[in-house]
Amino acid sequence: MTSIVWQRRRAAVSSTWREFTRNRGGLVGLVVLGVVVVLALLAPLVTDATGLDVTKAAGDRWQPPSGEYWFGTDHTGRSVLLLTWWGSRISLLIGLTATVLSVAIGTLVGVTAAHFGGWASAGLMWVTNFFLVLPSLVLAIALSTVLPRGIGTIVLAIGVTSWASSARLVRAQTLSVEARPFIERAKVLGGGHAHVIGRHVLPAVLPLVFVNTTLTVANAIVAEATLSFLGLGDPSMVSWGSMLRAANLHGAVSQRAWWFLLPPGLGVVVIVLAFTLVGRALETVLNPRLRGDR
Amino acid sequence: MSPLLELRGLGVRYRTDRGEVTAVRDVDLVLEAGETLGLAGESGCGKSTLAMSVLRLLPKSARVDGEVLLDGEDVVTMGWGRLRAVRWARASVVFQGAMHALNPVRRVGEQIAEPIRLHGGTARVADLLDQVELPAAKARSYPHELSGGQKQRIMIAMALACDPKLVIADEPTTALDVIVQAQVLGVLSRLVAEQGIGLVMISHDLSVLASTCDRLAVMRHGRIVEQGPARSVIAAPTHPHTQALAAAFPVVGDPAFRQVEPDEVRESTPLLRAEGLRVDYRGRGGVVSAVKGVDLEIGSGEIVALVGESGSGKTTTARALLGLRPPTAGRVLFEGADLPTSSKGLREYRRQVQLVLQDPTSALNPRHTVYESVAEGLRIHRVPGDEAALVADALAKAELRPPEEFFPVLPHELSGGQRQRVVIAGALALGPRLLVADEPVASLDASVRGEILALLLRLRRELGLAALIITHDLGLAWSIADRVAVMHEGVLVEQGTVEQVLLDPSHEYTRRLLAAVPSTTP
Repeated sequence: MTSIVWQRRRAAVSSTWREFTRNRGGLVGLVVLGVVVVLALLAPLVTDATGLDVTKAAGDRWQPPSGEYWFGTDHTGRSVLLLTWWGSRISLLIGLTATVLSVAIGTLVGVTAAHFGGWASAGLMWVTNFFLVLPSLVLAIALSTVLPRGIGTIVLAIGVTSWASSARLVRAQTLSVEARPFIERAKVLGGGHAHVIGRHVLPAVLPLVFVNTTLTVANAIVAEATLSFLGLGDPSMVSWGSMLRAANLHGAVSQRAWWFLLPPGLGVVVIVLAFTLVGRALETVLNPRLRGDR
Repeated sequence: MSPLLELRGLGVRYRTDRGEVTAVRDVDLVLEAGETLGLAGESGCGKSTLAMSVLRLLPKSARVDGEVLLDGEDVVTMGWGRLRAVRWARASVVFQGAMHALNPVRRVGEQIAEPIRLHGGTARVADLLDQVELPAAKARSYPHELSGGQKQRIMIAMALACDPKLVIADEPTTALDVIVQAQVLGVLSRLVAEQGIGLVMISHDLSVLASTCDRLAVMRHGRIVEQGPARSVIAAPTHPHTQALAAAFPVVGDPAFRQVEPDEVRESTPLLRAEGLRVDYRGRGGVVSAVKGVDLEIGSGEIVALVGESGSGKTTTARALLGLRPPTAGRVLFEGADLPTSSKGLREYRRQVQLVLQDPTSALNPRHTVYESVAEGLRIHRVPGDEAALVADALAKAELRPPEEFFPVLPHELSGGQRQRVVIAGALALGPRLLVADEPVASLDASVRGEILALLLRLRRELGLAALIITHDLGLAWSIADRVAVMHEGVLVEQGTVEQVLLDPSHEYTRRLLAAVPSTTP
């Protein structure tokens, strides 16, 4: 029996994939993402991490791009290429984990509010609206100031402040699924809350959550860069945000050292664009209402 | 002089992703002025496509062959300007589903006047409203302020606005209650007779067509399979499809349609009982009582029909009996014991009493296979034994044979009747003793209705399964129920055996209901 189920799931995945490959933008985004992720994973294997240490920097300060240092060097003589390469690891790591946290909270709150209704819904939605109206950046800054510095804090600060919109989205979708008669049938069959949510609501809501995740990653990466730029990140780690902060602090502009500003900035742009392209493409595939007549 | 409407070799094909689909093929029809023609058929037989082709209202993907002659002029080759002039002035349409065909943000008077203004006439809305027996003041109402029947009359007034010679009515009464349906049909028949309009009426319900039309055409798979005077088509159908359609709408009081043997009704012990059941809804406008003190009893192995119009509280009663909605007052007893209120107790209760919903398409999770849907109850209750064998057994009981072939099938690959059988199989898998069926055949095609009803009867005979059937259709009650309870505005106005209630009704409301049922025997 299970083999039939798996067969069907495989077919569903392959048809989703076929639909996805028709979207050129999404495909480009996916390729870019793949390359960036592979490079980030390979960084410790193909490069030497000692180059990141200020005391062991080999080059001269503020050197423009050359054959030896492709992206030039920073104010301490470290290779900007190396910094950017290693910075992508932190940006991706924080972007992804913060997104997982944010979407998990959002899905939990959204499904709970829609399924139980009544007071639970009113209370949860009140909290959600509170987080929606509060400027999330200010809240994140406050959180990361109070908590000890580190990756965990940044993840927490971004995750805890950005779940509200996914909660509302998931709640709306859950409400529309719960109104379908097959939910009533499941209840009459004797199914409890766990059964209704696990077997019927979540499978119907998950595609939407998945799309939402890819779009949230882009926001989380920008948020990480913002917080690091403001000096709230982990000072011992190189990230794109902290590179931009260093460039700003040590006068890269007055040195006309464009090579220190452009790589991390473009890195953020490229990765955010790639995630958004993939997210939009997935959205059109998984949400047939957006497909329209093309 | 050429006839009002003549179709010659009409064929309509739709271009879809999966190639061309033929909706209508080789149809020849003639309608003279002042004639009424009923077009009967099941969903997907092409009857709506045929009607829309008369005014060229088909979507862009449609290709039309043959000729559609309106007063001798071919609509298919007509220029755009000429077509605009002909639409509504020569022929108009009463669209299906009045709820959605009216603009919700404009007063109905303006909507009636719209076609008149477009065709350069002077609006005479009050006169039109008078013709459909509505007070002129209703012109200032918005659609949501009107009842279903009133909205349908507005649609008729709209269709008559430009004095057309031909009116096409597409399922004009489908969503309406019997009493309202009778009123709307009355208005339509009177107007056609008074003004000498040609009428093409489309319906899946032969009895509705029989009570308004002179001639009948029965369609199947895009072809007209039988055509002739309404009386003879219904009294002596020659095509098997017409016979199936005629049999699907039982005539109250006709012993031929009674499927229950009188001696089959035996003494039974009470299974489920409601005493003084009362259900209130708390809404924004205060408390609304949907059910106001209902006493109802269903014996073991008994089929009881709960009959009433929409809004009479019959569905709420069923929800309360199933323990889905706690009663405000009164009690529900199953085998003499109060309905449990704990979730564990209710779960046990659900093994005994199961629900079959109206629309099987939405009652099945579209992502679950037939196997998963039927096994759902078994898994919830952790029923011991071989799951696959139990599922196969339930499917076989619901007459889906061979059951193994249906295991991996998804709901959208099944027909409506098969889907309803899957829902029934899912209920049967738990071995219940009572089935609550909420309009079990209302959304099914005529030819499969009889099969599903026969299935319910056979389950009663073989498994001793009792059933509470909620319906607005008195013919259905006549055909399979032992007892009938008539509900009106939250109160049971009358209950008793089928013969007693339907042949010799004692309450005024039951009499009105019975009088409103369209009859195939004029």
